[in-house]
Amino acid sequence: MIAIKTKKLTKKFKDKIVVNEIDLIIKRGEIFALLGTNGAGKTTTIKMLSGLILPTSGSIKILGMDMKKDVYKIKSILNVSPQETAIAPNLTIKENLEFMAGVYQIKDKEKKISELIKQFKLDEVLNRRTKTLSGGWQRKVSVAISLINNPKILFLDEPTLGLDVIARKELWKIINSLKSKITIILTTHYMEEAENLSDRIGIMANGSLVDIGTSEELIKKTKAKNFEDAFVSIATGGELQ
Amino acid sequence: MRMINFAKRNFKELIRDPLSLIFEIVLPLFLLFIFQQFDIPAENYRLENFTPSIILFGFSFITLFTATLIAKDRTSSFLIRLGTSPMKSSDYILGYILSLLPIVLIQNVLFFITAIAMELEFTISIIPTILVSIIISIFFISLGILIGSLVSEKGTGGLGSIVVQLVCFTSGMYFPKESIGGIFAIICKALPFEACLNIIQGALHSDFSNLTLVHIIVFLIYFIAIILSSIIVFKKRMVSDNK
Repeated sequence: MIAIKTKKLTKKFKDKIVVNEIDLIIKRGEIFALLGTNGAGKTTTIKMLSGLILPTSGSIKILGMDMKKDVYKIKSILNVSPQETAIAPNLTIKENLEFMAGVYQIKDKEKKISELIKQFKLDEVLNRRTKTLSGGWQRKVSVAISLINNPKILFLDEPTLGLDVIARKELWKIINSLKSKITIILTTHYMEEAENLSDRIGIMANGSLVDIGTSEELIKKTKAKNFEDAFVSIATGGELQ
Repeated sequence: MRMINFAKRNFKELIRDPLSLIFEIVLPLFLLFIFQQFDIPAENYRLENFTPSIILFGFSFITLFTATLIAKDRTSSFLIRLGTSPMKSSDYILGYILSLLPIVLIQNVLFFITAIAMELEFTISIIPTILVSIIISIFFISLGILIGSLVSEKGTGGLGSIVVQLVCFTSGMYFPKESIGGIFAIICKALPFEACLNIIQGALHSDFSNLTLVHIIVFLIYFIAIILSSIIVFKKRMVSDNK
């Protein structure tokens, strides 16, 4: 079944085309990595797919629902962990979880919160105010919060940015455990992260989706030595090999 | 209710910020107390006149800290996360307004308790005065929402301070405008703060003879314009911040 389908998805800011006629199909339960250089249009694409901004033209269907017509229905079944850790600074971790459970009107919120505390090992920091935590912990909490509504679709924008190796591996483990249960769209600048976690990878350059496939397919296509070289070759249109 | 849930979060954020409590409650209380110690021979400083002035002064800090909270939420991507949730614009605006009302009530109660302790006569008119000032506080909260939607966290400090100064100098809390007259008196009439003070003082004295039709019209124009523009600008900002 298709989780996300876009048709000629375009976003213009004044005269500048930021996302240019993207046709994309993401399957249910898939982990899809969206890669690209800075300014390639990844974040704008994610913002459109998550209902944060409206496309200039083109259409988005999420689990068969139209983004324009069913935006609030769609918003209740997806969640986002933004690039910056977007959590309330003067609230404790528990209060942040409770607050977001309220935002999504979660019925059995205590059970869900306990599940997340266990899954992300948040016990030791549960009653600490978010602003007193390290960047790594804040990011972990941010990802935990994004699972509060059992989303069917989850957008992770640079989820491991600033994490140390151990914290990163722990988060990879969690993301991997969600595979096939949740459709995950991931943006990252770490090539190994995209390669290790995702089923398929889309590469954006100058607002267009220039290639799509598994990491092996992309390596094979570009005849590169590894995925990083394949990415560089695709993102630069073959200028850099 | 998402709006109540959001209001609870905002309230916690505000009361856990010590600076917010110092400026919204402690500083006005201190001024109320200290000005009564000087025994200044002017009508403005009589408790029944100065207590409403202090209420208004406290509201100017409500504007400042509302603006700071909103600007912080915008810059920290907190509103981006909420923008992808099923929350609607009305949940945000009412959530911000509702979260400030308990602080307004706490301010009022503490100011009146202090004033009564300093020999303000306890009358039943204190209750309608509190109710009237809660309505006026919605104007100050909306002004905070508008400022917080327009500028960055740094900018809120500057614009908020201007509001504090305007309240001090154009409401008539420290000196009667008539003593200066001319253009200054016209400016005071054209701004909403003199009208706000006259309404609160009128409610406390149960005597609205100082309140003119011009005051009522000026207050209503600002009240409606600020509330509407705060809603429009906040909604626009929610979209443009996400570009």
